[in-house]
Amino acid sequence: MAVSKSRIDHLLLKYEIEQFLYQEAELLDERQFEEWLDLLAEDIRYWMPMRRNVKFGELDREFTREGQDISWFDEGKDTLVRRVNQILTGVHWAEEPLSRICHSVSNVQILKATPSMSQPTEVTVKCRFLIYRNRVQTETDFLVGKREEVLRSVNGQWKIAQRKIILDQNVLLAKNLTFFF
Amino acid sequence: MATKTKGRFVNGLVDMKAGKISREIFVNEEIYAEEQEQVFTRAWLFIGHESQVPKPGDYFVSGMGEESVILCRDREGALHVFLNSCRHRGMKVCRYDEGNTPVFTCPYHGWSYATDGKLVGVPFFKDAYHEKLDKSKWGLVEVAQMEVYKGSIWATWDPAAPPFTEYLGDFKMFFDLSLEAWNGTDEPLEVIGGVQKWLIPCNWKFPAENFSGDSYHNISHRSVDMVGIGPSGTGRRDTQERADSRRLQVSFPDRGHQTGIYVLPGGSPTAASYQQSPEVADYFREAEEKRRAIKGEWGRVTGSPGEIFPNTALHPRQPRSIAVWHPRGAHQTEVWRWYLVDAGAPYAVKDFLRQYYIRYSGPGGLTEQDDMENWNYAHSASRGTIARRHPYSYEQGMGSEQTNFELDGLKIPGTVMDLTEAKSSEQNLRNFYKRWAEFMDAPSWDELADWR
Amino acid sequence: MAEVVNVRLLKAGDKLQVSHGATVVVVSNPLDGVWIFARYLASPKDPSLEGTEDMIFAQDIIEVLEISGD
Ligand code: FES
Ligand SMILES: [Fe+2]
Repeated sequence: MAVSKSRIDHLLLKYEIEQFLYQEAELLDERQFEEWLDLLAEDIRYWMPMRRNVKFGELDREFTREGQDISWFDEGKDTLVRRVNQILTGVHWAEEPLSRICHSVSNVQILKATPSMSQPTEVTVKCRFLIYRNRVQTETDFLVGKREEVLRSVNGQWKIAQRKIILDQNVLLAKNLTFFF
Repeated sequence: MATKTKGRFVNGLVDMKAGKISREIFVNEEIYAEEQEQVFTRAWLFIGHESQVPKPGDYFVSGMGEESVILCRDREGALHVFLNSCRHRGMKVCRYDEGNTPVFTCPYHGWSYATDGKLVGVPFFKDAYHEKLDKSKWGLVEVAQMEVYKGSIWATWDPAAPPFTEYLGDFKMFFDLSLEAWNGTDEPLEVIGGVQKWLIPCNWKFPAENFSGDSYHNISHRSVDMVGIGPSGTGRRDTQERADSRRLQVSFPDRGHQTGIYVLPGGSPTAASYQQSPEVADYFREAEEKRRAIKGEWGRVTGSPGEIFPNTALHPRQPRSIAVWHPRGAHQTEVWRWYLVDAGAPYAVKDFLRQYYIRYSGPGGLTEQDDMENWNYAHSASRGTIARRHPYSYEQGMGSEQTNFELDGLKIPGTVMDLTEAKSSEQNLRNFYKRWAEFMDAPSWDELADWR
Repeated sequence: MAEVVNVRLLKAGDKLQVSHGATVVVVSNPLDGVWIFARYLASPKDPSLEGTEDMIFAQDIIEVLEISGD
């Protein structure tokens, strides 16, 4: 029996999205920050809430709220461009010398595709990330968590329209967040 | 002047006559252990803000030095600060960050404490204890003193410490710049939800001295000044009001608190700020007009980073936040940063400030990131045996401090350094360490409260 | 012994059989998973407890006699 078309559409889309996410990680890890910025939609929402320890049954209070509370990040393209520009000054001491960074992206799931899997213009994706940062000599951070994102097709190119970053930490164990998730 | 007991620190490891401080006080683990006793069990420490615990049963788990404490509003509405450790075998009774509860129940053997700290539940009280345990003696350990000052909550473990407002002394009028509404009234502030907590690999005194008034390290923030995150689109703050002002450092030698300030010229309105958003700009223009009108001459004074001894840092103006540098061993600090806004401000203002605050401060902040890199590697490069033999220099501007400082009729209390021409001074840093050394040497508050 | 009771799930009005042959009615639940605020309905060993309120430890609950209607 032939594999149903919808399953093939799903597989093809998943492959395409995975390739996009891997290429994005490649740009970041190879420090092609300006090229990375080109992957971000002009109206991108880039949000990384903080997480509280809350009682069973009160998990609705676990995350700080977007647009309301303090987060690790809660911003749009303007500040992301400024972050890149800061690194590119060469005197942003927290990233000079540049850190050695490796992004691993896995567990990619397509949660939603609109209007359809075969002709999607917007895709909701969930994945896992593992970011390894090593800088100067022995300073090393591992940041592990989940990402939920909305990718939008703009003139045949995928752009990141929303990225929610869920870091699996309470007290941040890294001294700063000078890199991108 | 102080007649302190001669010890290892005053004019020893902290040699303020020569303007030199030994690296040992930052990296030596024995000194660190002494410091926990001498400084953190005796000083007043910042706990939180009233807006975090508005209702009976509300709690927020905070810290005092290395210790976890519970800030809690009891059923009658009274505030308490308790050591977050069960009296039976030490289990942390509250491992949540904040919430509302009728009791704190220990997960280990089940002792249960009411929100006023009283031990109310003891498993098998009849069968195993034969009702002989005196529950009234086994409540949660409560701080010796707690005070609420303009919404901010403070505590100390030392019953002999002077009351908090006396501990502040004349620094009070500078601390008010962090606690009053932007329009200079007592309208309430609120902590924006979510306290940032993160670890830095350095001794807690690196950030403490930096916020005391390191007026010299602007160069390390050049990258953020170039890319511009300020509320008017350039720099990292609104700079015109500062350019119009006299730039001073103010410190209180008998207290150990210090801050930078900018004194606006009298007779003309404060320069426009928050130009990126007309609504926010209007809010601040109106607030500033009201503040200047209410405060009169004193309204010319605007805030800049400062430090309440020992480990509470103030950012009164742009951005507005309070940070605590919790010691986590000689070589590590856990920072907690609270961000403050006018409780009654419209959403647009709160939203704008929130975004500005976190792009400036905290681990994601374009400004604070560079500070943490410097503190980290200043500390690690000071740990070696050879490195420890060479003290740091704190000589900048020694001998140029003034008292009874007056600026066209406006009297500024404390020890003042005029940085308008000098550009920078380490007077505030010397003041911080002088007080730190006194705490390390002094056997009790009798010697420390020598103004009495 | 009856099934282990998850005291987090008890509600005001629930009736419980507890140690020493006593029965209590739940007044409120602090949701700590360990204690229940309750009022004694019957206490044959110490009748003075009847009508009084106390904290009941989870391990002292023998069984749930009655789940309140609501
Ligand atoms: S340690 Fe808390 S009850 Fe034993
Ligand atoms: Fe700084």
